[in-house]
Amino acid sequence: MTAGPVTPAAPPRPGEPVLRWRSRAHSIEEVEGELARIWAQTNFQVDMNGDQVNDERHVAARTSVMNLVVIARRPEVGERTAAIIQMLTGRHPSRTTIVQPADPDGPSWLDALIVAHCVMPRADAPETCAETIHLTCGGEAGRHLDAIIAPLLIHDLPVTIWWPEDPPFGTPPANDLLATADRLVVDGSGWRGTGLTQLVKMAAAADRFPIAISDFALLRQSRWREAIAAIFDIPDFLPYLRHIRRIAVTYGVRDDFGAETTNIVKPLYHAAWIGSRLGMQVTKPLGAMHVGGPRRPTGRQSALANPSAGLGASLRMDRTDVSVVIRPVVSEMPAGTTLRVELLADWRGSELRADVTAEQEAVHVRVWQDGVHALERGFNAPRRTDIDLLAEAIEAGGRDPVAVGTLALAAELVGDGAAAGAAV
Amino acid sequence: MTETATPKRRRTSTQPDSPSIAPETAPDKTPHPAPRPKDAPRTAKDLRLAHLAKRKPSPRTDVNPLREGLRLERVPDPCTLVLFGCTGDLARRKVIPALYQLWRTNLLPHEFSIVALGRRPFDDESLRAEYRKSLESYSRVLPLDEAAWRSFAQRVRYMRGDFDDPAAFDRLVTILDAIDNEQGNRAEGRGNHLYYLATQPSAFAEIVGQLGRVGLDHEHHDGGWRRIVIEKPFGHDLNSAIRLNREVGKVFRESQVYRIDHYLGKETVRNLLVFRFGNGIFEPIWNRRHIDHIQITVAESIGVENRGSFYEETGASRDFLQNHLLQLMSLVAMEPPATFDADALRDEKVKVIRAIGELTGDEIRTNVVRGQYGKGWVAAQPVQGYRQEPEVDPESETETYVAARFEVDDWRWSGVPFYLRTGKRLPKRASEIAIQFKEVPHRLFRDSSTDPDPNLLAIRIQPDEGIMLRFGAKLPGLGIDVRSVTMDFTYGSAFTVDSPDAYETLILDALLGDASLFTRADEVEGAWARVTPIIETWADEPAPDFPNYEAGTWGPEAADELLARDGRKWRRI
Repeated sequence: MTAGPVTPAAPPRPGEPVLRWRSRAHSIEEVEGELARIWAQTNFQVDMNGDQVNDERHVAARTSVMNLVVIARRPEVGERTAAIIQMLTGRHPSRTTIVQPADPDGPSWLDALIVAHCVMPRADAPETCAETIHLTCGGEAGRHLDAIIAPLLIHDLPVTIWWPEDPPFGTPPANDLLATADRLVVDGSGWRGTGLTQLVKMAAAADRFPIAISDFALLRQSRWREAIAAIFDIPDFLPYLRHIRRIAVTYGVRDDFGAETTNIVKPLYHAAWIGSRLGMQVTKPLGAMHVGGPRRPTGRQSALANPSAGLGASLRMDRTDVSVVIRPVVSEMPAGTTLRVELLADWRGSELRADVTAEQEAVHVRVWQDGVHALERGFNAPRRTDIDLLAEAIEAGGRDPVAVGTLALAAELVGDGAAAGAAV
Repeated sequence: MTETATPKRRRTSTQPDSPSIAPETAPDKTPHPAPRPKDAPRTAKDLRLAHLAKRKPSPRTDVNPLREGLRLERVPDPCTLVLFGCTGDLARRKVIPALYQLWRTNLLPHEFSIVALGRRPFDDESLRAEYRKSLESYSRVLPLDEAAWRSFAQRVRYMRGDFDDPAAFDRLVTILDAIDNEQGNRAEGRGNHLYYLATQPSAFAEIVGQLGRVGLDHEHHDGGWRRIVIEKPFGHDLNSAIRLNREVGKVFRESQVYRIDHYLGKETVRNLLVFRFGNGIFEPIWNRRHIDHIQITVAESIGVENRGSFYEETGASRDFLQNHLLQLMSLVAMEPPATFDADALRDEKVKVIRAIGELTGDEIRTNVVRGQYGKGWVAAQPVQGYRQEPEVDPESETETYVAARFEVDDWRWSGVPFYLRTGKRLPKRASEIAIQFKEVPHRLFRDSSTDPDPNLLAIRIQPDEGIMLRFGAKLPGLGIDVRSVTMDFTYGSAFTVDSPDAYETLILDALLGDASLFTRADEVEGAWARVTPIIETWADEPAPDFPNYEAGTWGPEAADELLARDGRKWRRI
């Protein structure tokens, strides 16, 4: 294994990250030593013109934005996250530590691959470089991730933890890590089962730790939120907003039995977002629906154990009840994808019905006022990639009150039903 | 526990119809009314008002709470942009590339159309082909995104017509009605229109009048906004600006009018507000106690190119001083606005412009320098003088350079000179604002081999948009030698994401109804009130000794003397 600067074979192109450093270490001290060596380089050699002669490139900035810590239990997850982070090198040069715990019962060991990627914004501009530390740790060391990560953090820079799989919320290792973080990035729509148990635990973590939480599941829906909000930008429709009577979210499942294992964090967020923005309170948490309305759970069975016929809940806004319905429909779309959001409002005897749907590149809004078609709009808004979502997550400063409110109300909507829902 | 329980048992004195016994006031258990506070309600009306006052305030019903915290850019309402002067240079180079870029990045509404109005014999397809050629030359992102271009092109319709032909505007009404019915935001088809005047200034009043005549200025109470974007120059002196404002005001309300100064849409200029008011460390020293003087430079290396006849009518004072330079100056000198809305921002800018002392007669001769370039060398190429440019009078007295010393007569800036300069055929294209701080009050390191320069903050607008701070640092070594070093922030290096073009920013703002970066009528007139006396004084003076600077130099010697007289010099850029 070569240790140190890597000279790219081809001249770099603006905007494309290029590997410039690669070395290995087997202890934290060695990792720190390698990082110091990278920082000591003021210039990197690179053949700019393709003439087989190396030119010196001035490095303008390194790791000046934040510490990004990724916890990846599987190697393929670590590789995928590393690829996404590389694409953000120029935009958010950060020190990234990708930690992969392995073999918890064996002896303690640590293996680190340290790499640096550089991006030049323009051919005549200095480069921006950022280093990534791929850490694999086994044995006892793997159970004290905070102790491994702490010495590798750049002081005074915020710490973001990206947990792309199911974080073990509530466990001592997770708590130790969250205590060191300023921001937690997760993807609730990728959690196992319905995802609701994790969601409730995450809401509890948000209460316990002073961290900001960015959930890709919520960020992904911003195009829906933009479209829904735009309905009520129209002065004629705005008065209906505080007189919503029903929020119905339809999501896709693979087959008739798919609802029991389909993650419904995204559909739930829609209802929770609207409810929280309008100051609604939960009066009846989510429960399984049957024909004629929500059915009370019996015995020890979870209220959310059988969402096949849909889930229903009640909210209260001012003095009015608002029904929430989250129902599955067999669809070819990925399971858990929101297919439709419907709103029904009633103001001074006049009814407003809004129907929001989305496709790959656009979100469509249709509104009927007293049964008369009153609005049809399309919003050009393609689905966003994980690169876009991570960029948005780490660009956000502090706690986003909208996300905080949405998560809190989503957890309240789940209520105690999540306890038994842990199994699903 | 008792703290929370006690108030529940205690009746408040705001309920006189049900007198209660407060425990601490009733030791003998004899019921008697609690003492009435002075502000207790006395009448039924008082009671009702008191009751209402105690109620939790109702949420504002005119605000959309779903809009809060949305991180996506707000997409404008469905609308139609009517582009007057659609085949002109400005439309091809700036407006259409900006609209295409906004479309490509999904920042325009799905229901969006462009009605392009011009005199030339195009049809929809041939105009689209022309625009495609323009985009291939002027789009900031190339190659073109074919899918985005196809869908964008479908939204462009050509309408041939003269701006002074009433029938053309009658046809425009019909076309807009048809589009509104197709894509209107309401079933009734009352669409939103943005009229973009990318024409010669002489056509502004005519177009505005025609739009008013056919009722295209009328906004509907249930939506259907009408806005008009007017390019600079807005008038050619104070009187013409007042006249034009009056003409526009007869048809459109001020809130419908968006006067563009594209400098205000540039990223660094917008960042100036963030830099000043989003950071705590600069504002306390942003005043006469710490700042020695300020230099604002807008330098161009190009000549008048194909705009000789236009430039003969304008000159540097009208083309740049009255708008770009005074706008930059007002942003540097303004007080923090109370809110970040358009009028609060513009109120503060107007205050600065009004506080700039009006120069008269001798003051103009002392504080303002004009110049015109002769032949010379720019970027290793020989270039001709201004008077040899096409469409330029060989005896022209038009200034291609102006430098001025202004003062802002207010509490913050009294005694701090603002030196402004702009010119063509200068050695390089560069625009920047340099804040020169005062020297330290006591020179502790006077024996140092190199005296450090006073601190300087340079805000680069173009090229290499960014901010540089100069300060003194100790040279490595055993002695105490001090040298000036710089701390440099460059947008291009710190963020690899491209900044939007100024026109993208401004057009989107106009579509969204945000006038913060547009100039208001009183700003325009205020700026003309400062510049018009200069132009008039020059007109009364004997013919200047032009050309008085070589192309490729930093302007006439008199401009250097303007600062040298104060013991200062222009910053080397």
